Amino acid sequence: MAAISLENLTKRYGDVSANDGITLAVEEGEIFGYLGPNGAGKTTTIRQLLGLIKPTEGTATVLGADIRNRKALTEVKADLGYLPDELGFDERLTGNQALDYFARMRGDQRREELLELFHPPLAKKIETYSAGNRRMLGIVQAFMHDPELVIMDEPTAGLDPLKQDRLHQFLAEEVASGTTIFFSSHILSEVQRVCDRVGIIREGQLVALEDIEKLLDRSGKHVWLHLRDDVVENEFVTEEMINVEITDNAIQFTYTGDYNSLLSHLTSYAIDDIEISNPQLDDIFKHYYSEEFTEET
Amino acid sequence: MTAIFRLESKKRVRGSVILVAVFAVLSAMYFSIFPEYEEDAEALIDAFPEYMLDFFGLEALHTIEGFIAAEIYSFFWVLLVGIYFAYISAGMIVKDIDRRRMDLTLSNPVSRESVILQKVASLWVPLVILNTGVPVIVYGGSVLIGNTINPEAIVLVHLLSVPYLLVCAGIGILCSVLIDRVRTAQATAFGLVIVLWLIDSASALDEEYEWVGDLTPSRYYDETAILVREEYAYADAGLLTLAFVFLLGVSVLLFIRRDIH
Repeated sequence: MAAISLENLTKRYGDVSANDGITLAVEEGEIFGYLGPNGAGKTTTIRQLLGLIKPTEGTATVLGADIRNRKALTEVKADLGYLPDELGFDERLTGNQALDYFARMRGDQRREELLELFHPPLAKKIETYSAGNRRMLGIVQAFMHDPELVIMDEPTAGLDPLKQDRLHQFLAEEVASGTTIFFSSHILSEVQRVCDRVGIIREGQLVALEDIEKLLDRSGKHVWLHLRDDVVENEFVTEEMINVEITDNAIQFTYTGDYNSLLSHLTSYAIDDIEISNPQLDDIFKHYYSEEFTEET
Repeated sequence: MTAIFRLESKKRVRGSVILVAVFAVLSAMYFSIFPEYEEDAEALIDAFPEYMLDFFGLEALHTIEGFIAAEIYSFFWVLLVGIYFAYISAGMIVKDIDRRRMDLTLSNPVSRESVILQKVASLWVPLVILNTGVPVIVYGGSVLIGNTINPEAIVLVHLLSVPYLLVCAGIGILCSVLIDRVRTAQATAFGLVIVLWLIDSASALDEEYEWVGDLTPSRYYDETAILVREEYAYADAGLLTLAFVFLLGVSVLLFIRRDIH
């Protein structure tokens, strides 16, 4: 059974579709990246999954509960963790009091263990917290009842790089022990590092749904070359090379064709230096957001 | 599932205690001036224009019961405490949505019905604190000046005000689920309680329009009748309770259906 399953999920505000017929499934025990720029509709999807807003069309299930069935959805929330992008705590409570409050509703068997990894100043009032402390408190409340599924919206916002690494490592361990993570972010490198699969959302529509690896394969290799002589563009560049940039004897491009033909093509040149690597998700992302893509749709 | 109820109840304590303190100060003032006032009461009351007495529903002002009903209950209790209940109720839902607290609350296994009902139930705190503190102060004050008020009447002037205050809370909670901006919701609830009270008072001046006041909650709570004439209108209190249940029911239904942005 899928932990989360969206079927034609649609939310319209007047003529604007914040979510436009999104269909996807998040399998149990995977960490699924939900990627898109701010305003693409990621939070709209999450708010529907939590039952905060109702879909205009279509539906979704969360841990088997249809989001249109309020009672069923309320029940499965005992096994759900949620880390919102904007953390609305009761400012006048201390960190400890806030955790006590959530613990009364859904338990806190892992609270101490989590507080060793993420340690906001629990005795202080939340109104005095920095963004990082606030986020750490949010992480603890999202995981302390040992949920089956955790929905995270921009989870590293406000965390310093060290704590971000700690969170990424923690998530990897959680997923290894069977937790499902829905990881919504606009930060591409982060999703690339953390997630197994990724859904890319753009203007309310799902434009790609793939394994990170496959996405990287399909998007070819990034090639950087230093030739002994200046590059002659119309002689060197083939159809399989995209995003070509040439400066004197240096050239870089994304190669989308067969690797053997690239290598035999290169043997006819004198090469000083070469680097072939996976493209950053940023480059792939550019592809989905390029004008070319807009025309296709 | 009482986490919300417990947290909300704690939040209500401070405001309730402050209000009791305000009533303590007011009572101290009125009880201390009463003995002197009593001597010239007749002359003073004659100087009041008739419509003023009708407007506030005052009578027997020369007695301690009439005086306290007029000074403490007609205005401060009915209006001030009524506004307090409407105002805090008006913040209950819209403020949590605005501050993003509702998102986290509703990520717990708790239904929306339960959230709103637990919040409204936290009003037991001001109801108990005010209705214990203030009658004790009023009774004690009357004993101190050697002009004891019938304690049964004091108990009932408070007990029968509970449904009235709940209707004010009902107005507030309805504003809280209907209106998207915190300030607007609170100002609307605040304003409605004042306007309804004014309509009740003003309509009492003219027999032809008196029926208009039948649509206002304060019409069904008569502090002067209770304290001065010891008339206890239980049926009116029942009507107010029904009105509260209706307002709360509509609020719950609206809250369940709405999107939380």
